[in-house]
Amino acid sequence: MAFASPIRRRRDGRYTVRLPAQVRSMLASLSQQMVPMIDSEDPAVTRLFPPAYIGDDTAEAEKQYRNLVDGALHNHQHQAVQVLSETVNADTLTADELSGWLSAIGSMRLVIGTRLDVSEDMEKPAAGDPSESEHAVFDLLGMLQATIVDVLAEDLPDEGQPPSAL
Amino acid sequence: MSDVQTAPVEDVRTDLEESVSPDRPWLVIVWNDPINLMSFVTFVFQRLFGYSKEKATKLMMDVHVKGRAVVSSGTRERAELDVYRLHEHGLWATMEQSG
Repeated sequence: MAFASPIRRRRDGRYTVRLPAQVRSMLASLSQQMVPMIDSEDPAVTRLFPPAYIGDDTAEAEKQYRNLVDGALHNHQHQAVQVLSETVNADTLTADELSGWLSAIGSMRLVIGTRLDVSEDMEKPAAGDPSESEHAVFDLLGMLQATIVDVLAEDLPDEGQPPSAL
Repeated sequence: MSDVQTAPVEDVRTDLEESVSPDRPWLVIVWNDPINLMSFVTFVFQRLFGYSKEKATKLMMDVHVKGRAVVSSGTRERAELDVYRLHEHGLWATMEQSG
């Protein structure tokens, strides 16, 4: 019998979430840690705000881009983390709430992965390595992200559709 | 075009600005990163751009194998909006004018 996904779409369009209490409390704790980090100068957090312009003579364009979007990008990050922390113990989620989870979990993975200097061919840390637990969190977030992507992708038509407004 | 020999600095600068032609579209580029999952990147391309699963998967593989892919193009404003939406989703996106 196939492994039942912890997050499944119901007929009414909501999503059922079945996760162990330890996973939920980990997500709650990570959400709390993310809130002050989003506005910090932490080098790993800069990964959430990458440059739009690279190369020669782009400093001015990049400055204008940052002025234009930085506030909205920070708000977006805060909102996603807020949705996750407010619904972390919920048994069902709306599609919007699940998108918030996806966004917040993705950001946490980016920050932790950047901190761990993750690479594509990286091997798992040896038992007892100081980064072992952070790697485990990273892997778990990856599994959650993959699960949410799979369940949300079911609603996207394979043949494509007009671009979404947002 | 002005006489090069007597052209003041301002004129040279104007020439440079004019060489950034508004006719040439801006390209939105997504770069490979070791953290985002392949399925997530495909999903973002489908969701943001309305691409078919096939097209989104091909673009994702281009990013993964070649290191970068052009995922959309258009006016500067359109490209900047697309870059912003990709940044919202944690993808490493930049923009440049097609050469």
